[in-house]
This record gives sequence, structure tokens and C-alpha cells, in this order.
Amino acid sequence: MNGIVQLQLWQFSLIYLLLLIVIFIMKRCSINRTKLLIVASIKMTVQLILSGLILTYIFENPHPIFVVAYVSVMVWFSIHRVLSNNKDLNKRFKAVIALSIASSGLFVLLFFVCVVVGESIFNPQYVIPISGMLMGNTMTGVSLGIKTFRESLDGQRAKINALLCFGAAPKKILMPFVKQSLETAMLPTINSMIGMGVVSLPGMMTGQILSGTLPTTAILYQIAIMIAICTMVTSASFGALYFGYRTLYDSKKQII
Amino acid sequence: MELFSSKEGLCFQQLITYPEIKINADCFSFITGKSGCGKSTYLRMLSATLSAPDGQIFYRSKPLEDYPVLDYRREVMLVPQQVFLFDGTIRENFDLFYDMREEKQPLDEDVQRFLSICCADFPLSANCSTLSGGERQRVFLAIFLSAMPKVLLLDEPTAALDEQTSETLLHNLKQFCSQNNISVVCVCHNGELVRRFADQEIRLGEER
Repeated sequence: MNGIVQLQLWQFSLIYLLLLIVIFIMKRCSINRTKLLIVASIKMTVQLILSGLILTYIFENPHPIFVVAYVSVMVWFSIHRVLSNNKDLNKRFKAVIALSIASSGLFVLLFFVCVVVGESIFNPQYVIPISGMLMGNTMTGVSLGIKTFRESLDGQRAKINALLCFGAAPKKILMPFVKQSLETAMLPTINSMIGMGVVSLPGMMTGQILSGTLPTTAILYQIAIMIAICTMVTSASFGALYFGYRTLYDSKKQII
Repeated sequence: MELFSSKEGLCFQQLITYPEIKINADCFSFITGKSGCGKSTYLRMLSATLSAPDGQIFYRSKPLEDYPVLDYRREVMLVPQQVFLFDGTIRENFDLFYDMREEKQPLDEDVQRFLSICCADFPLSANCSTLSGGERQRVFLAIFLSAMPKVLLLDEPTAALDEQTSETLLHNLKQFCSQNNISVVCVCHNGELVRRFADQEIRLGEER
């Protein structure tokens, strides 16, 4: 096994040429998103350069404060993303979402790093990449779940109103929506587990193999992280939806 | 005795201001007035699915908020204007609606009886998605009526029906409700029907 080829900067910058293909296709199909693509590419580059520099610094000078700060920023950012995709939720619903992402994130991270890997929770080399993967997937999952929930409620006003008038309790009316949205949030993660190793070698495993880790070790990490992600997406979405939907009705049992 | 009453000046979000309203018990009452004068909003406030400014609506001389809200809605039942039926047969719809109230499902013969009162004599196995708009409205009404509320609030029950069916429906309803001491408050646009069936008429949105 060889260590990874160190990318030269000029070599590396060739990869940006591929974006020309994307721009070409966009122009051909008149998808007016060229600006977005360019902004996204620049943002990605700058953010990753920064995180590369910061991580290098943290790994050379490990200190619990850095780890805590880095993880907090990640959690904050993913909460922020979920909430900005779902702006018109009430305040309490937003608080519930933030709380369930943060708490399930912390729990799964602790279990993964301290119990399964057996490392200190302040070891940046493990904690930061793993919480990055967890938070990224959670962000997508919860966002999807909440979005489905909101949209299905909006599309079913007549149903909700009819059942409310019939004297059904708001809980009874809303539970099917919670269940359906939770399912929607979980499915992409579960589906990606099915194809794993056959169609795609997932990112984390690819990274480890490229850097010289034995594939047999890499798969163990991959399996562990997938199960962790699945748990995390499920519990964060569950918390957000199950405790969040209660904020939609008041003591007068009117659904807002 | 008054069934509902609200004092002059009750208003909803500064848009609609109502005069003093008194609705009699054991009556078939109609609320009339031009579109946008707040008839549906008033019915929704009566059914406690929309908040009235505190304490301004009275049900049997007690403020509406003093009643436990779910029990109240089962006693004073609003049949909304917008019809909702699940995909499935008529029988399944009755079952699903009753399940939502966590009550046991009505018997076949009862379902059939209420369908027939509402001029909806369809087989129980008929699929609701194949029914027309007016047919769906009548099935919807039958589901609500079968729950036997003490007060029935109807929001334009005849909107999608032809004249003949409208008349038969209101006739049947009036007969059934007076036999069973159910008070009815109905929003309706058809002046002829109001003249024929109203025990009491409340006009909203009139210039004073």
C-alpha cells in the first residue's frame, strides 16, 4: 500500500476544467444557474481551504477548546441551514428542531468516538471528521422531513379542517403526517445503505483507502458511520417532528 | 332559550364587525348575506375551530371557552364548506372518520339510513372518488349527521346541488333534526330555500 499522491497545486487546479462541461450543459438547456454554480464552487473552495488550514492547526495543537468550538460551529451551521430552509415555522417549533439536532448529534458522536472507537471525545482527528459526516447527513434528512411535513399539511387543509370539525383531537389528525414525514426523512439514508459497496464506494471509505488504510479496516469504519448516520438522522428527525408538531395547536385545540 | 348569542361589536381581525346576534334553540335557522360578509367565519367561531375574541360568544348562555373544546365540537358540529373524503369506499370513509374520533364504527344499516336522509342512496361499496361533487357533498354531510350532534352548523350544504335535490335534502334534514331535537344553523344563498325552510333568519352585512 502506498501513501496518497501529494497533489501539486497546478495539477489540482485542472479539476476546475470539468466545471466548463457543467456550464456548457447549463447554457445548452438554458438553465440560468451559472451564477449559482460559480458562487457555489467559490464558496466551497474558500470554505474548504479555511477548514484545511484550521484542521492542520488544530491537529498540531490539539486542545479540547478547539474541538468543542469546531463541533459547535458545525452543529450551529446545520441547525441554521435546516431553519433557513423552513422559515415560516413558529419559534417553539424551531427551538425543538435545534434541540433535537444538537442532542441526538452529541449522543451519537459520544457513542461512536468513545464507546466504539475507544478514543477521547477531545481527539480532533476522530471527532471532527465524524461529526462533520453526521451533521451533514442530519441536515439533509431533517430538512427533508420538515419540508415534507409542512408541504403535506399545506396540501391537506381541507382534510385537517374536516376532521377538526368532526371533533377529532389534533394529535390524532397530525400523527399520520408526522409518521409520513419521518419516513421521508429516513428513506434516503436507508436506500444508500442498500447500494453501498456495489454501485458506490462511499466518500469516507474512498478517502481512507486513498490515504493507505487497508480496505478491510476502511469498511469497518464505513459500516459504523452508516449506522451512526442512520441513527442520527432518525432520532433528530423524530425529535424535531414528534415534539415539534405539538407546537402547531394551542390549548383551544385549533391547528395553526 | 337562546342557543347562541353574541353582542354587538364582535369582530374578527378588524375585517368584519358583527351586529348583535341571537340564534334560537330547537330551530332551523338561516344566516344570509352577501359574499364576504363573514357568514362562514361566524360559523367557524361558533364551532370553536376559529378563536372568537374572548368571551363574546355564548352557547346556552355560557361563554364558549368554558366548555371542554373537543366535547364541545362533538356537540356543536360544523360541516365545512370544503368537502373532504378519503380515497376509498363510502363504508371506509365512515370508518376512517369514526376512527379519528376514536369511536366505534357505525352499523351498516345506520350508515345507509343517514345516507338516505342526505339524499345519497349509494351502495356502501361505492368508491368516493367516482362520485360527483354534489354526491360527495351529500356523503360528507351524512357522515357528520350520523355522529348525532346536538347542534348542526351547515356551511352552504346545497352549493353543489340542483334545486330539486336541495329541496328534498333540506326537507329531510329539517324533519330529522326536529324529531331528534337537533338545532340547525345554516348558511345559504338561495332565497327561495330560506323562505321555505327558515324558522329564523339572521341577515349579516346589511347597511344600517
